[in-house]
Amino acid sequence: MNLSAPELCLLMAALVACLTLGSLHLSVNLGLFAIETVLIALATAFMGGITGDRELYVIALLIFCFKAFTVPLFLSWISDKLMAQRDIGSFLPAPLSMHLCLILFVLSFALAKEIPVSHAAGHSWPGASAGISLLLSGLILMLARRLAISQVVGFLVIENGIYTFALTQTRGMPLMVEMGILLDLLVAVMVAGLLIFKIQKNFEHIDIAQLKDLRD
Amino acid sequence: MFELLSISLIPLAICLLCAFRVPNSTLRISITGLIWLKLIIVLFITAPVFYRGNSSVSLFTDFGIDRLSASFVILTNVVAASSFSHAALFFRNEDKLGRLTEPRNESWFYFYAALFLCAMDFVFISENLGFMWIAIEATTLFSAALVYYGRDKHALEATWKYLIVCSVGIAFALLGTILFFASSQFYSSAGTLDIRMLTNSAKQLQPKFVQLGYIFCLLGYGTKAGLFPLHTWLPDAHSEAPAPASAMLSGSLLNCSLFAICRLTELVKHTDHAVLATEVPIIWGALTTLTSSLFLVNQMGLKRLWAYSSIENVGIMLSAIGLGAPSLFFLQAVNHSLAKVALFLLSGNIIQLNGSKDVSQIRGVLTSSPALAFTLVLAAAALTGMPPFGSFISEWLILLKASDSAQVLCAVVLILSLALSFVAISVHVLNMVLGSPKQVNKLSLPFSSVLVPILLCFCSLMLGVTGLAQIILETL
Amino acid sequence: MSSIATWSSYLLTVIIFPPLCLGVVRKTKARLQNRVGPAVWQPFFDLHRLTKKRETLSDTMCGVFRLSTVVGLSTTFALAWFIPWVPIKPWSPHADIFTVIYLFALERFFTLLGAMDSGSAFGAFGASRDVTLNLLVEPALCLALVSLSIIANSTDLGAIFSFSHFSTVSLVWFCAGTSIFLTSLAELGRMPVDDPTTHLELTMIHEAMTLEASARNLFLLEFTRMLKLTLFLALSAQCYLRIWAGFATLAPFQQELLVLIGVLLMAIFVGILESLVVKLQWRKVPEFVAYIVTVSLISVFVAMAGNTSL
Repeated sequence: MNLSAPELCLLMAALVACLTLGSLHLSVNLGLFAIETVLIALATAFMGGITGDRELYVIALLIFCFKAFTVPLFLSWISDKLMAQRDIGSFLPAPLSMHLCLILFVLSFALAKEIPVSHAAGHSWPGASAGISLLLSGLILMLARRLAISQVVGFLVIENGIYTFALTQTRGMPLMVEMGILLDLLVAVMVAGLLIFKIQKNFEHIDIAQLKDLRD
Repeated sequence: MFELLSISLIPLAICLLCAFRVPNSTLRISITGLIWLKLIIVLFITAPVFYRGNSSVSLFTDFGIDRLSASFVILTNVVAASSFSHAALFFRNEDKLGRLTEPRNESWFYFYAALFLCAMDFVFISENLGFMWIAIEATTLFSAALVYYGRDKHALEATWKYLIVCSVGIAFALLGTILFFASSQFYSSAGTLDIRMLTNSAKQLQPKFVQLGYIFCLLGYGTKAGLFPLHTWLPDAHSEAPAPASAMLSGSLLNCSLFAICRLTELVKHTDHAVLATEVPIIWGALTTLTSSLFLVNQMGLKRLWAYSSIENVGIMLSAIGLGAPSLFFLQAVNHSLAKVALFLLSGNIIQLNGSKDVSQIRGVLTSSPALAFTLVLAAAALTGMPPFGSFISEWLILLKASDSAQVLCAVVLILSLALSFVAISVHVLNMVLGSPKQVNKLSLPFSSVLVPILLCFCSLMLGVTGLAQIILETL
Repeated sequence: MSSIATWSSYLLTVIIFPPLCLGVVRKTKARLQNRVGPAVWQPFFDLHRLTKKRETLSDTMCGVFRLSTVVGLSTTFALAWFIPWVPIKPWSPHADIFTVIYLFALERFFTLLGAMDSGSAFGAFGASRDVTLNLLVEPALCLALVSLSIIANSTDLGAIFSFSHFSTVSLVWFCAGTSIFLTSLAELGRMPVDDPTTHLELTMIHEAMTLEASARNLFLLEFTRMLKLTLFLALSAQCYLRIWAGFATLAPFQQELLVLIGVLLMAIFVGILESLVVKLQWRKVPEFVAYIVTVSLISVFVAMAGNTSL
């Protein structure tokens, strides 16, 4: 299997996402998320080098500054403030969920094979499988964790997966759209962060599984 | 460009007013004025579309309106205008009851509601799937602030669920949007997200990507629209938001995501795989209608009741979309929005009057406030599709269309659930209206507090008894 | 190379190298803690001292204890005989990976028997912890070796380590090497899992099993452990060296030299790791082991991908 530099970065990012599942420590989770996002930013920059698309450099820079740097810092600041260091974990033990994720990582290669390829658009199936794998890792992270901060991390991993998919399966999403998406994401994380503070203040915990007053 | 600016001008003005700490009493009056001004501006902007032989107008690169989106923009602004006007009265009552603990909350409400309205406008006027996605995500973020208005545990829980469930759902819609973009790159290397260009070249799109993209978009926007079983956030958010916000959530936000689904369905119907865009929405719509009408039967929260009824209507509208009738979809949306906004606004007053959200605690509205009771019955009748009202016509037409297109099963399911919801809602409403009041707050509701709902009911009635429905169907 | 030279170099590595490795680990640790520390050949003197001491045996012991230490060391010698841990060996038998794994298990089994035979409560609980740990770690080692066998299409370790065509799957070598290295940390009770220098009974794992041994028995136990450490380090050093595709083309004595240097470097690395890392809580050890298994799994997947030449 011959991998190009962006593909290698993206696959490594997907693996890092799998590793994120293995630890219940928020600091470890956030650190691994930052590494994952840096890898994705790198892949974007390499992609820019390959296709000669200047916009990709801008996007890589934006991802690096905001998603890989500001967001994890913000979230770890929250977890410091709330003195939440460890997730409780839900029905799936952390090691098992990591191994499950790895198996899904392999299955995503099979899934990605189903994706039609247009050589004109420079599709790569390892890239697509990295995207699918990231998406699934994020979903499992959201399902297997109970702390609000971990939910946000899971959401961000899903978003990374979708971005990866876009990066490898399309060529050149309009810059405006990309920036809008990134902005929306940042605002969503900020809003979620503020809500987490409020949840801590009102409930004295940030365990989402215990928020079930409202139901039919 | 000028149109875009003028659409966003008024919301910005409202935001500025709120930011400058204008006293609440001034704020209420000035915002009511501004919001009607916005409706007039919107009418002026959208008017050119309805001239004969002029079905679409481009506003800016990637932005434009055609007749359907123009109609939805008008509807959204009507809903917003009524909600904002009623909000002035609603908050004055809250003030009297001493439930407005923090006066700043009210201006924050207006602040985010204005941004929310602006985001909704942009959903309809963007012709680019990417911008449409961004606008829909923005509506989630701004309306989350509205849901959090109550500042208590329940509001917090509802807001959190709303934010997380919808953000993840919308993320899938983003994936779908990307797939559409990828599918377009198979025939032109640059690719496009422009919905019009995509529809024109529908047959050349990569079919697998289009199908996958459609499924993901349906999943994502369906979460936002509250389709079963992705509806979990909807009753919570609607019941915890203040009445004017619930009215806007139900009356216009649900339309936004359904509008996106409608556009994509039209697109997929132009490809060689139209079956997907017919069967899936119809079946899913019927399923949603059926389940939500079951939820209605034993529903105890007043606003949760209307929330489930909204889900039911979303199901009907989705079926209409699947049947390939955007005009029927719009007609049903108008009728639903008018009745539902009236009901949510009235519910706000009823809850203020009785001090409880629980249907079993609310009794004898007729004795405590006859005007309220009368309007409530009227609006509930308009909602459930009683004959003189407009929703009767639209539901009837949808059922006809379903049986015409050999979707008899869908029609049967729709009829069953409509009947079930009619019975459920009538029982609940009559229970509330009749009987003797249990506990009543000392609050004299002026007639003005039912003015807006009555007007809305009147509009709904007009849609039913005059030939307006026919005109709408012919225009679109 | 003449057979005498081969034999002598092999015996030298098998006898001299294990204590030297431990000495290097201890010296590195001491240096990093700003101590001068014992000389690197201190383990030789320790071993020598043990042979001269008089043996103390508990009353409850039966013969199993004496037998266990002997069997343990001889099994490990057999392993050193089987595994191609150094490139120059007088005899290279067919070293099936499963044989290797079972020989490791045999050695462990006898160590456990010996620990329980002593009749001390600490021995029993050390044994129980050790067996739990090994149960968790074993899949990691198996999978790492399996991944190597996948790319070489053979379960013979000798064939695997003389296989020279997989420059494209250097990632497998890296993952397998890492996995074997981490496994050795867990299996030999090195730092993140167990502190070899602690004698606080509540936290001990491996040391608890050797508490009752003395004199010649302790000598045998200690030497077994050093040899095992060396074997593991040599295996992972070889894996790391094979990331560099040119390694397979070198002459045997150059390879030998590189491997030995590699083992010493790994020993230094172990020393650095032990002074940087804190000991994990016993409850969190499974989490650590899960990561080792993950690395092995990645290695297997990459190997599968490389083997089918996707």
